[in-house]
Order: sequence, then structure tokens, then C-alpha cells
Amino acid sequence: MSGIELGPALQWLAFLIMAIIAIAGALGMTTTMSMFRSGIFLMGSFLGVAGLFILLLADLLALLQVMMYIGGMLVMILFMVLFAHDPGGDKMADMQMSLVERLFTLGIPPAKSDGHGPGHNAEQQQHEEMEANEHDQSGGSGGMQAMSGMDMSMTTEIKSLAAGVGLLTGIFLVGLVILRPAWAQTGIMPELNSAEQVGNMLMGKYMMAFEGAGLLILVGIFGAVLLARAGRFAKDVDRKKMVAEDAAPQPIEADELQPLAGHPESLEPVSVPEIHADDRS
Amino acid sequence: MVIPLTAYLVVAAVLFAIGVYAVLAQRSAVMVLMGIEVLLNAVGLNIVAFWRYTAPSDYSGQIFLILIVTVGAVEMGVGLALMMLLFRNRQTVQVDKYQELEG
Repeated sequence: MSGIELGPALQWLAFLIMAIIAIAGALGMTTTMSMFRSGIFLMGSFLGVAGLFILLLADLLALLQVMMYIGGMLVMILFMVLFAHDPGGDKMADMQMSLVERLFTLGIPPAKSDGHGPGHNAEQQQHEEMEANEHDQSGGSGGMQAMSGMDMSMTTEIKSLAAGVGLLTGIFLVGLVILRPAWAQTGIMPELNSAEQVGNMLMGKYMMAFEGAGLLILVGIFGAVLLARAGRFAKDVDRKKMVAEDAAPQPIEADELQPLAGHPESLEPVSVPEIHADDRS
Repeated sequence: MVIPLTAYLVVAAVLFAIGVYAVLAQRSAVMVLMGIEVLLNAVGLNIVAFWRYTAPSDYSGQIFLILIVTVGAVEMGVGLALMMLLFRNRQTVQVDKYQELEG
């Protein structure tokens, strides 16, 4: 085959670098406090996975990964972060931290909300307090107390449960993968012009899937535009402006429609003609 | 084929676990969507690794990944539009403020 064949040591080196970038990016995404930094970490993770794709000789998919995930979705996400504010990032800007703390802030433990029953887990509470103390000691310049009235945490109250579930998932999957290594592998090298092969299959065998994906994108665009379009009543102020309200009724003295003097008979009760059941014929 | 298939699968499994944690633990809906992207990435890495090591002459695996990326992009767009709608109504994107949405 043509192309440069890396030696085994170089291949392992490239694999380890890319895997560490991918995993550290994902970890940083979920541990940092600032949403903007999360987005940047996520970009690192995507780049690492794209590098792994190149190592797997799927260069078209690596390109697709960079273009779709980083060029498309991540820009959307960062736009959404800018749109919806970034309280953690604002807070971090005021703190004095070292670089590592700045990158991997664990977030502030959630404040107690009103929804808690009396049977709330005391152990978890203690754990969260411990976390809070740790965070105060490590990252603190006292900025936390200033805003302690607001619930500024980046994670939900089931954070420790979520960490357990994630850890169990990881252990389960890694265990499965390691305990069953006997997939029927072939030593065939894929052809190097994978883009041409993929294009031929997309236009031939997988034509319907391709068209279906196109239709899905079209419907998705319509749905997204319909959902996110600025409504007629974007804000409450505008809504109040649009809804007609009755003016305050004028006092009765200024009523122009009061009965004229000199026609006292108009005040007499109007005689209602009697209607009998027999009249209806 | 110096690097075994298991190495790639382990990386994908770790990515998947991190994604599960992010989806469950993060409070902001933007972060939940980022976690979903990490999950999709792990799945894609699995697909490409299996394509390379078990069926490199059949390019269906790559096409499968392309379709997954497409569906993920649509899902991300609609999710962000929903979030923008909710943000406009509630002035927040934190998912635990939406508890009355559950059926």
C-alpha cells in the first residue's frame, strides 16, 4: 500500500495522545464550572475523537466529525451559552485561582431547595457540605459567601448518584469489553479512497437512508424555526400592550346618556305583552 | 493493527460513562446537550472501531456513522430551539426549574 506506515511505538504514542485528549476533554467538559469553558473542552474532545478516526483509517469521518460537530453543533451550543448567560463563568472571573483549579472547578454544591422532604439523606448533605468546604479552601477568595443567597450551582442535587451511575456504567462497559475480546477480526486493510466508496454506497445501496436523512433535516429545520421564532408576545410588556383593556369607567355624573328631563313617561316600566302558550300557532 | 480493538472500545466506554454522568448531573440544559454529544461521540467511536477491525471492506459502518451524525445535528438544533423557547418564557435554562413539565 502507499502512504506512510507508522511504527508500532509511534502508533501507540498517537493513540495514547488522542485518547487522553478525548477523555480529558470530556472530563473537563463536565467538571468545569463555566459553560463557555465546557464548550471549549468539548471541542478538544471532538478533536481527540477525530484523531482516533484518522488512526482507524476513516479520514472522511474525521473530517465530518470536525465539520459537523465543531463547525456546526459546537457553534450552536456556544451561541446558546452566550444567549442564556453563563453564571458559573461570571463567578469564576471574580475568583483567584490557579490554572488547574480554573480548568477543573468542580462547581458549587447545590443549595437546598424547598422541595426536600424531612427524610433527606443526611449523609449526602454532609458530603455536600464537605465538598463546599473543600471548594472554599481550594478555590475561595470569599466570593462564594457574597452570592450565597442565590442557587448558583452547576449540578443537580443528585450529583453523587449521577457520579455513581456513571462510574458503574463505565466499569460495566469496560468489564464487558475486556472480558469478551474475541470478536472475529480480519486483517484486511481498507481501501484508501474511502470517500469514493462511501459516496457510491450513499448514492446506491443506501439511497433511501440518505434521502430520509435529508427529509429529516428539512423537517428539523422547520420545527426549529417554528419553535424558536420570535412570537408576537415575546415579552410580558409587549403582551400587555397588545391585549385590549377596558378604560376606567367614567363617573355616573358625567353620563351623557342619562334620561332627559321632561319625559317622565320614559321612566315608567315598559309593559311586557303577555305571551300565552296558545298564541304560538 | 498494532493497537488492539479493545483499546478503542475502552476509550469509547470511558467517554460513554462521562457522558452519562454529564447528562444526569448537569443542571443547565446546555450542558445536558453537551453530554448527549459526548454520548454520540462514544457511539461513533465504537462504530468506526468495529468497522475497521471486523468489516473493513464493507463501508456500511461509515454510512451508519454519517446517519448518526445527521440525526444528532437535527436533535441538537431542535433541542436548542426548545431551550430558547423555554428560556424566553422562564428566563432560565436550568432543567430543575421545569419540574412541572413532567407528565
